[in-house]
Amino acid sequence: MTATVTTLVVGVIAGYLGQRSRMCFVGGIRDFILVRDTALLKGLVAFGFTAWLLFPLAVVLTGDGALRFGTPDVVAAALTIVGGFGVGYVSTLANGCPLRQHVLAAQGAGSSMAYLAGFLGGALVFHVWIVGLIARLLP
Amino acid sequence: MITDTTTRYSEPMTEIPWAHHPPAPRITAVHTGIACGVLAVAAGTLFEVRPPEAYGICMACHGRDLVNWTINQMAGAHLTVAPASLVYPVLTTIGVLLGGWIGARTSGEFRWWTPDNPVKLFVHGLLVMNFALLAGGCSIRLLLRTASGEALGMMGFAGMAIGVVLGTFWLRWRATR
Repeated sequence: MTATVTTLVVGVIAGYLGQRSRMCFVGGIRDFILVRDTALLKGLVAFGFTAWLLFPLAVVLTGDGALRFGTPDVVAAALTIVGGFGVGYVSTLANGCPLRQHVLAAQGAGSSMAYLAGFLGGALVFHVWIVGLIARLLP
Repeated sequence: MITDTTTRYSEPMTEIPWAHHPPAPRITAVHTGIACGVLAVAAGTLFEVRPPEAYGICMACHGRDLVNWTINQMAGAHLTVAPASLVYPVLTTIGVLLGGWIGARTSGEFRWWTPDNPVKLFVHGLLVMNFALLAGGCSIRLLLRTASGEALGMMGFAGMAIGVVLGTFWLRWRATR
């Protein structure tokens, strides 16, 4: 229940700030390459830097040692790199990262509503078909 | 009556009385980045949005959790959800839509807009979600995982950066052809 309330509150704050600042986690790199505009890129760096500073602090606060990550293997690494590349490439073509598309949809943009329909339907497609397909193709 | 000095937009939202207040303080992307960083780390470590680690904000995974949780509850299916949203759902998707709507309404930026080619954007959304679930996070969570020191997250973020660079080059090539 804590997670439900927390994510709702975090989502409202992130959505409001994202609407006011036009924040986009893909647009920063894109704007820098196209017109050397660093406004969004600074936001991207600020997010990463803040999280990087606060993770050790939070681990000390909760007092349960380090964050528990699985050991990466070659298959997981390859899938992650391919997936990351696809996220970046298609998001650039779609004109914004998922957060920006959610905010634009809330602003009344029909294109982003179509994007969101595909986005949420895509979760179902992934778990019903793609997972089984990948599991069959991989050794 | 609204004068031109108090509203920056040609079409004021007359049915919302608080839409005509003076403009809200200017929020830059840096403010948003810092605030989202604090919230993401706090939610992921202190407020039970775990496991997996570094799960505080993710538009793709939390959207997947909400869709699959709803289908599991309504149809008794057993689709994959993250352990964090096994019993109660994570509501980041709804929260961001709500927050964006509040921001657009209070600033008078809300405007219905019909797309030229919704099918293309539908396919884009489908592809981004599938790639994001393959990588284990959307652009936000890939950066969050990188910041938390996970090797896989760093690889995913590097792949994403390369993808954005190539996508931008493709957009520029198509525009200048």
